[in-house]
Amino acid sequence: MTDDPADADRRGGWRSLLPVSLLVVVAGAQVTLATTAGLSPWKGGGFGMFSTTDDGGRRYVRVFVSAVERSEEISISPSLEDAARRAAVLPRDAELSRLARLVVDRERRHGRSVEAVRIETWRVEYARDTLAATTRLAREFVYRVDPTPASRS
Amino acid sequence: MWTRLPRPVHDAHDDHGVPDSVLTLTAIILLLRPLDVWWLAPFALAAACLSLLSRRVRRAPATWILVALFVAARIVVVWPLSDNHIYLLAYWCLAIGLALTSANPAATLSASSRWLLGGAFVMAVLWKAALSPDYVDGRFFRVTLLTDERFADASLVFGGLSRAEMARNRAFLEPLPEGAELLTPPPFVEPPRLRVFAAAATWGGLILEALIALTCLVPARGRLDLAGHGLLLVFCVSTYALAPVAGFGWLLATMGLARCRPHQRALRGAYVAVFILIVMYSEIPWTGVLADWAGR
Repeated sequence: MTDDPADADRRGGWRSLLPVSLLVVVAGAQVTLATTAGLSPWKGGGFGMFSTTDDGGRRYVRVFVSAVERSEEISISPSLEDAARRAAVLPRDAELSRLARLVVDRERRHGRSVEAVRIETWRVEYARDTLAATTRLAREFVYRVDPTPASRS
Repeated sequence: MWTRLPRPVHDAHDDHGVPDSVLTLTAIILLLRPLDVWWLAPFALAAACLSLLSRRVRRAPATWILVALFVAARIVVVWPLSDNHIYLLAYWCLAIGLALTSANPAATLSASSRWLLGGAFVMAVLWKAALSPDYVDGRFFRVTLLTDERFADASLVFGGLSRAEMARNRAFLEPLPEGAELLTPPPFVEPPRLRVFAAAATWGGLILEALIALTCLVPARGRLDLAGHGLLLVFCVSTYALAPVAGFGWLLATMGLARCRPHQRALRGAYVAVFILIVMYSEIPWTGVLADWAGR
C-alpha cells in the first residue's frame, strides 16, 4: 500500500505503464476492427460490453452449399458451432474462410460434393422509438472450394 | 529484473509490499472463474492454489507473469469470443508480476491499478457515449431489460411488468426480415416504471463510469481520492447486483483494494466486503426471490 497516491503514481515507472499500454493498444485495435471489420463491440478487449444491442447473441450466420445439381442451406451442426460463433462476432475473411473450410470438410466426410460455400452474416436491429426488431444482412461471403477463395461484401 | 522473478522481493508486512489480501483475492478470482480451455485451466488453477497455500509462491513475480501468459493464451485461443474482464485479468496479473519486481511494489501496483481502471472506464464511456448507435437513446437497456433472461426478474420487480406482459413483449421483439411488417403485431407494453428503470440504468451507468474514469486519471488527494473510492464501491454494489459478470466486479474490487493506503483500514474492509457481496450476488438469485415474493 502507498503513502500517497500521487507519489505512488510517480514511483510506478514503466512497470505501472506497461499493462495499461497493452490495454490501450488492444482497445485501439478493437475499435478499429469494430468500425471497419464488423467486430461486435462486446468483444475484442475494447470494453464495449453493455453499450449496444449488437452482441453475439443477436448475430447469426446462414450457410449455403452448392455443387452440380445441388444448392441448399445447411444447418449449423455442433461441430460448426464454435466457428460459426466466431464468424458472427467478427465476420472477416479469415473467420469466414475457417467456417467455410470446416463446412467443406464436413460435407465431404458425409460423401456430399461441394463446389462453393456461401455464408451470410445477419444481425438484429431495433427501431429507435418503437423497438420493432428487424434482421439485416451484414455480410455475404463466398468461398470457392477450388481454386482459391473469393469474397464480396 | 529477471533474477528477481522467482523469489519474493518484499515482505507483506513491509509498508512497501503489496498486501497479501490483493494477491489472495486475485488467486480466488482465478479459482471462482477458471479459464475454460482444458489445456490452460489446470496450470492457472494450480498456480492459484499454490499461491493461496504458499506465501513464497504468492509473492513470486514469476507466478503472476505466468498466470498473465496463461490468460493471454486463453484470449488468443478463443479469439474473438473472450469477454472484456478476461483481458483486464491478464493486464492485472501482469501488473502484479511487474510490481513485485519493483523497488516499491505497493506503489507500483497502486499506480497500475489506477491506470488500468482509468483506461477500462474511459473505453467503456467512449463506447456508450460516442461509438455505440443505440445506448444514449435508451434502446440498449429498453431492449435488454425485456429480452435478456438474466435481467428478467429485475424488470419484473423494478419495472412493474407482469410475466404475461413480459412474454408478449418478447414476442413483439422477435425480429422480422428487413422491410417486413406483421398485419397484426403483438401488443407491446412498456409501463412508465420500466421506462424510468431503463433510463436510470442508461444514464446512471454512464455518469458513474465517467466519474470513475475521471477520478482515476486525474491525480487526486484527500477527499477527492476518497470520493473516487466511493464511486468505485457504489458502481460495484449497484452494477453487479444486476449485471451477470461477477468476474468483472471481483476484479474491480481487488484493483480498488490495491489503491488503498496502509491507514485506510475501513476502506480496505469495504472493498473486501464488496468482493464477498458480489460472490453473494452471483450465487443468490435475489431478484428472482423478490419477483416471486412480489407475486410477479
